[in-house]
Amino acid sequence: MGDSDWQALSARQSGLKACTSCGALQPLADHEPCRDCGAAVHSRRTNSLQRVWAFLIVGVMAYFPANIYPIMKTRSFTGNTTDTILSGVVVLIQSGSYVVALIIFVASICIPVLKFLIIAGLALSLQHDWDISTHNRHRLHAVTEFIGRWSMIDVFVVAVLAALIQLGAIMTIIPGVGINAFAASVIFTMLAASSLDPRLLWDHSNDD
Amino acid sequence: MTIAAGKPEEQTDLNHLVACPGCDLLHHCRTLEKGEYARCRRCGDVIQTRKPHTIDRSLAAVLASIVLLLVSLCLPFLSLSRAGIASSISVLDAVAALWFNHMRWLALLTLAFIVLLPLTRLLLLGWVLWRIRFKRKIRRGMRTAFRWSIRMEPWAMAEIFMVGVVVSLVKISTLANLHTGLAFWSLLILIAISCYINLVLCKDTIWAILTGKR
Ligand SMILES: [Zn+2]
Ligand SMILES: [Zn+2]
Repeated sequence: MGDSDWQALSARQSGLKACTSCGALQPLADHEPCRDCGAAVHSRRTNSLQRVWAFLIVGVMAYFPANIYPIMKTRSFTGNTTDTILSGVVVLIQSGSYVVALIIFVASICIPVLKFLIIAGLALSLQHDWDISTHNRHRLHAVTEFIGRWSMIDVFVVAVLAALIQLGAIMTIIPGVGINAFAASVIFTMLAASSLDPRLLWDHSNDD
Repeated sequence: MTIAAGKPEEQTDLNHLVACPGCDLLHHCRTLEKGEYARCRRCGDVIQTRKPHTIDRSLAAVLASIVLLLVSLCLPFLSLSRAGIASSISVLDAVAALWFNHMRWLALLTLAFIVLLPLTRLLLLGWVLWRIRFKRKIRRGMRTAFRWSIRMEPWAMAEIFMVGVVVSLVKISTLANLHTGLAFWSLLILIAISCYINLVLCKDTIWAILTGKR
């Protein structure tokens, strides 16, 4: 947008801070909540990086039991089976449901692991001033915020199956501890992604 | 005008500036034509929008969503039959079944993400839009309501639940006959409408009305 008479300054450099919910500007020194919408206004989210690391570490720690312990136990006439996240994918492939297997594999394994790596990478890049294109980091951050919630698919699958089978009385499906750990992992990683203030990425940036 | 504090000359000045939410770069506000939007010239995020007929369109869509969500929660989304025994299940049945069979964690997660958060979000949004549309007095609470409806957005997971239902269908299709119920289709329409709300809801316009800047 070619308003070239305007010097490239951030709100912070101009002594202002913007409300993240309604966009209203107020002076940096002002400690009042936003006069337009009532939200607390911070130039940069307070302790952004500490929060990111705290949430991310809990998210990663919960991901191990989520994969080791069963997410679902099935008892039927044909015998008892337990499913972990990975064995659930294998069963789907064996039964020929390749598309669904792919959906679960992406949502429960690829997305969480990629998210851990991307969030950790972004946080480290901020702490160590890594020379990576800010445009690319900005895009990565936007993508992680957008796709993270889709990891919840497996949680809802277990919820639907467990509830349905309770009513059906054909066999019993009991959720395993793995699914609780998995839900916790997804929720904490979502919190980690939303704790990372994207404006920090641009503060030390040389890009334009 | 219901602006509470601050020096008047300072405020008019600040109203002509907008900071990019993605990178904090300051821009002069541009006067947008209907349907136009402005992007940040550094990071490319959208910084200003002006969507046409936003109040009418989003109010209609929100009201339709509230009805569809209530329908989707109470009617069965799946029914299962095997050896003459048939049973069907709604979202509320599912939550109750999980709760009473000692799967409280899952029951609470489902209740929060599929029932409470989406419904609260739609009710808040509907209340704000309704009062604006019918020229009722702008109350301070409407700003808080609108702010919370924006914050709840990523945590309302009806569309993810839908994919979960489809996957469940495939997973036990070998064990029993499964049929999709009415609620399945109303959830599908609900997802389409929520995409439509994202397209037509103009936060800039609504904030301008709520803060008396227009
Ligand atoms: Zn505000
Ligand atoms: Zn920007």
